[in-house]
Amino acid sequence: MERTEIFEKLNEIFVDVLDLDEVELTDATTADDIEEWDSLSHVQLVVAIEKAFGVKFTALEIMKWKNVGELVDSIVQKL
Amino acid sequence: MVVNSINFWLFFAAVVVPYFLCFRGQRGQNLWLLLASYVFYGWADWKILPLLVGVTAVFYGLGLAIARNNESNPRRASQLTTLGVLLGLGILFYFKYFGFFVQEFTALFASLGVPCGERTLNIVMPIGISFFTFKLMGYVIEVHRQTAAPTRDAVQFALFIAFFPTILSGPIDRAATFLPQLQRRRRYNESDVSEGLKRVLWGLFLKTCIADVIAPWTTVVFGNYAHHNATTILVAAPLYLIQLYTDFCGFSEMAIGVARIMGLRVVENFQRPFFAKNVAEYWRRWHMSLTTWITDYVFMPLNVAFRDWGLWGLYAATLLNLIAIGVWHGANWTYFWFGVYHGLLLCIVTGLDKRRKRFEKAHHLKDNELYAWSRRLLTFLCFTFGSVLFQAASMGDFLGTIARLGQGFGPLYSEEFSSLVIYALPATCLMFLREWVAEYRRDIHFMHSPNIIVRLVSIALLISFIIYAGQLEGNSFIYFQF
Repeated sequence: MERTEIFEKLNEIFVDVLDLDEVELTDATTADDIEEWDSLSHVQLVVAIEKAFGVKFTALEIMKWKNVGELVDSIVQKL
Repeated sequence: MVVNSINFWLFFAAVVVPYFLCFRGQRGQNLWLLLASYVFYGWADWKILPLLVGVTAVFYGLGLAIARNNESNPRRASQLTTLGVLLGLGILFYFKYFGFFVQEFTALFASLGVPCGERTLNIVMPIGISFFTFKLMGYVIEVHRQTAAPTRDAVQFALFIAFFPTILSGPIDRAATFLPQLQRRRRYNESDVSEGLKRVLWGLFLKTCIADVIAPWTTVVFGNYAHHNATTILVAAPLYLIQLYTDFCGFSEMAIGVARIMGLRVVENFQRPFFAKNVAEYWRRWHMSLTTWITDYVFMPLNVAFRDWGLWGLYAATLLNLIAIGVWHGANWTYFWFGVYHGLLLCIVTGLDKRRKRFEKAHHLKDNELYAWSRRLLTFLCFTFGSVLFQAASMGDFLGTIARLGQGFGPLYSEEFSSLVIYALPATCLMFLREWVAEYRRDIHFMHSPNIIVRLVSIALLISFIIYAGQLEGNSFIYFQF
């Protein structure tokens, strides 16, 4: 799967889980850029992403991501 | 030596003048500050100084070992991190909780008819231990997660742990933001000194004109709750919450200000919590350096581990997270139940979050100020109730205090209440005005006004207020006991 496809899918997941009208994620997007993305919703996002891509992240991976780009890198590695 | 005392400012002057004048590089400045920090800590508790130096050395070595193994041997890096966390928790447990557990088990066995004699341990809790052990544990976790680079410079690391403005009562700094600041020389900077002094002034105002004016009255009321009626308890409860906030926020402002004068940025600790619209937001604005620490290192790992349990996993992680925050304050059942109470409140807020958003959308309440202030009032009342639990010496005292509410209303206990009305009330109004401006009208400035007259008048008024109304006896801070 191409990175652009992953981003498209992630945009849908973020809109759905965080109840947003729309979102345009980039490699540099962080939780600071989206008000609804907090420590509570972060794990709900992870669960939705794992389900949508059929992958499982380790706890250390989940806590090391600094931005969406690193999250996408983890997905690419597992696909 | 408290930051609101003459002794501290004499000490600080003796430190800061050579700090800017005598050292040409960061190494000398760091070594000088480390020496000052150890003198400062030794002044408070010299017997514990060897422990502080010893654990600093061990965690310094652990940080380097973890970094060496992160890529080549991840399993070993994990083991070393676990060792560091267990060591930090072990030190905390021994000094802070061991005596409590011995006492509780002795009582439990005695109630079961198993005599085990009178056991009382006289373990003296080192001042600031909850703050510096959290810094130590946070460091090894951050190095393991690679969110902070380990330092090879032992002086820098020791200074990060023992930095005198924050060692006794926080804020709990992070290696990732603090250590890089120690890698360059700090020059005298007028804007840093000016900003630092303004923060100190504001902190002094909160502490001396509000917290220390309220404290004598609430101490008498809660200390003798059995003699007071519902009216007095209902007035004392919100006043105690304001006292707690201004005491701790006042200290944090002064600690941040003192660091800023020396060109160092310390993490923020409060962000106007009384403007929070629900308990989750309140916790994001209250003692932020502790709540973010526990969120990152306790809540997130638990939440990740429980993620397949759905909403129940989130509730379990939330509850454990708040219990951890509660018992961090000390070995007392009141802190445990304080954590449970707030954990349950947070679970309710989380569980109703989507429903609340739908309700607000349907009734166009998002920008309704009356609705927003009702939510703020409700949040304040929830925390007021929690603060009664927080201040109680035991669960018996807490239940006894609450039981007074059923004894009927009556005249307010008025002994020394007049000083609250004359001094603390206008000071609290001033605090709310400043916080309201910071929340709603960022275009209005007082001490930071571009107009020099407004700036000088604001500063002069604040100083006059402190001289006129402040309790300037160098009273201690509530959070020193933790």
